[in-house]
Amino acid sequence: MMDFITVRGAHREYQTASALRGVDLEIAGGVWCSIVGPSGSGKSTLLNLLGGLDSPTKGQVFIDGVDLRTLSENEMARFRREKIGFIFQQSYLIPYLSSLDNVMLSQYFHSMTDSSEAEEALKRVGLGHRLHHRPSELSGGEQQRVTVARALINSPKILLADEPTGNLDRENTKLIMELLKRLHEEERFTIVLVTHDPFVSKWAERIVTMEDGRIIKDEPLY
Amino acid sequence: MSLFISEAFAVGIKEGFKLWLVWLVFSSLLKEQDRPGLMRPFYLGLALTSMLFAASFLAAPGQQARGLLVGLTGYTFFIFFLSSALALYQGAGVNLFGPLRLTNRHLLRAVITASTVFYFSPDIIGSSMFVRDAAEMKASYAGVYLSAASGFILPLIFIFTPVQARAGRLVSGYFGLPQFLLFLSVIKLLGGGIKGFAEFSLMPLVQAGLMKFFHDVVHQTFVYLMVPDHPMLNTTAWNFVGIFFGSNISIAATLLLLLIPPSVFLHQSFLAPVPEPGGGAATGAERRMFKSSVVADRRRKAVPVIFFMAFILISWYSGAGDTASRLYNPKPKPVVEDKGQVVIPFTDPTMDLLDGRLHKFSLVSGQEAISIIVIKKPDGGLAVCLDACEICSPEGYGQTEGKVVCIYCMTPIPVSTLGRPGGCNPIPLNAIITERDLRIDVAEILLKWKDVKTGKTKGAAE
Repeated sequence: MMDFITVRGAHREYQTASALRGVDLEIAGGVWCSIVGPSGSGKSTLLNLLGGLDSPTKGQVFIDGVDLRTLSENEMARFRREKIGFIFQQSYLIPYLSSLDNVMLSQYFHSMTDSSEAEEALKRVGLGHRLHHRPSELSGGEQQRVTVARALINSPKILLADEPTGNLDRENTKLIMELLKRLHEEERFTIVLVTHDPFVSKWAERIVTMEDGRIIKDEPLY
Repeated sequence: MSLFISEAFAVGIKEGFKLWLVWLVFSSLLKEQDRPGLMRPFYLGLALTSMLFAASFLAAPGQQARGLLVGLTGYTFFIFFLSSALALYQGAGVNLFGPLRLTNRHLLRAVITASTVFYFSPDIIGSSMFVRDAAEMKASYAGVYLSAASGFILPLIFIFTPVQARAGRLVSGYFGLPQFLLFLSVIKLLGGGIKGFAEFSLMPLVQAGLMKFFHDVVHQTFVYLMVPDHPMLNTTAWNFVGIFFGSNISIAATLLLLLIPPSVFLHQSFLAPVPEPGGGAATGAERRMFKSSVVADRRRKAVPVIFFMAFILISWYSGAGDTASRLYNPKPKPVVEDKGQVVIPFTDPTMDLLDGRLHKFSLVSGQEAISIIVIKKPDGGLAVCLDACEICSPEGYGQTEGKVVCIYCMTPIPVSTLGRPGGCNPIPLNAIITERDLRIDVAEILLKWKDVKTGKTKGAAE
């Protein structure tokens, strides 16, 4: 039986460099897995493959039993829309929309908007008092909390987070990690989180360490 | 190529194309609903239609049966349109009769077979009669029949080509039952004529029928409810009343009648609340996904309805004709009584009764001149009537293309319906047609004229 996320012999080669050199990885559904490693080790490349944002030059990626190579562009877009939530280091919020509208935009591209549901999601991340504030009127931590609400509003099966706290101070980092932990415990979606910060990686149930495009260590924490 | 052969070819193509289109959309609808087995009763209906066609072709029905067929083509349009209207209301959530579901499989199959026969038979049989007439006129049966048959088969070839599958995929998802029924009625409206190039669509027939219906409703309402002393009322008052059933208003009103059901459907499609999912949706995203799919389906199903509405609208106005054209109103020729009869020859040096134009004759009785109209109908017969109807002041009739028009209330009356009594039709007279002339009893003229003057015909209409 295949795990929820299965990567088999994934290579990703660019003209001048190889970002991944034969990665094999299996992550069960509902697990929080951190991927750590130095810069250039292939963490983000692997995350992009898992999110269907990039494809391997060799090897296969299966998510929920689906071989991502077999999906057409439209099918891939639908797959991402329905199954995957993304958080990046930058919030990428639309600057002229309010927090509420930014979350509703994600609903719009998924299916249709529902403002009360978006409001509820923002309240869950502690931003009930910031519904109509634009990103420029929010702190970095608050912006990242909006991105968490935006990523989870469509009930994805996987949350892919690429250095989600890279721009935050320790206090806000802790707030975000506590928030993710609470939401993960409530909804048990799978989290794959890329970071180079040991404080962030230790919140996971499993840590995968990469170096030079390969997995060199894979340890469960509990 | 002679006109007869090309016309027969066009008639064949029209019938074949209609059959192909209906086949395509129906098979696509059943495929989407995962009920392809229901094509079998459709094929059975087609087989029965073919048998009816063969029987009628061999039997060569007479004038009366032809008249019945012409009427039937109009009625089939109305029945399918009415069904689509009810189904559109039903589809829009206005449950007129509660949830309508044919759960009995045998009954459903019987309904499909009967509907197929009812839908195709009048057109196919009617068109085949037209082709037969054309062949007789041409005296070249093989050429005309072959031409019609090849025209009929040509569109059906699509069924065996990849075009069928591609077109099926294209229309798939856009048709529910209401849209399909509306599609059937529009196809019938646009291509249901059975008189070759002269009447390719049912538009003129339907327009005339609906306008007459609308006019009669308005007119009778005023006569019986609001203007009890008619026809003694003065002309000015009736000119005001006439605004309501002038041809422009009746065209608009009948169009409204046609467009109300699809409009209600569209209103419901876009503005009605989207239902919540049942117990299946666990998350907000799933709930939104369900609602979004309902909205998308509603929009998809609205596309053909909008398309058909536009089609009806464009065709309606393009076929509405020049209502402002001046009426042909000839000066009555005097006629005299001869042994209790008025005798009117078919031809004399000044006129030809069979030329299709309106002819008027005037019989002087006492101080009054009684006007009589004669006109050749499309079926070749002569309509002989008083130049007055049962309702209006006897101002008489003028002629415009294909119609006579009441000069008093401007109601258009199709020439083909002259000779029928009642309403705004001119009061028919029983004429004896001989080889050279027509003869009308003066007693009948005087009696009917007296009724017009005293308003007794109003009682006859009741």
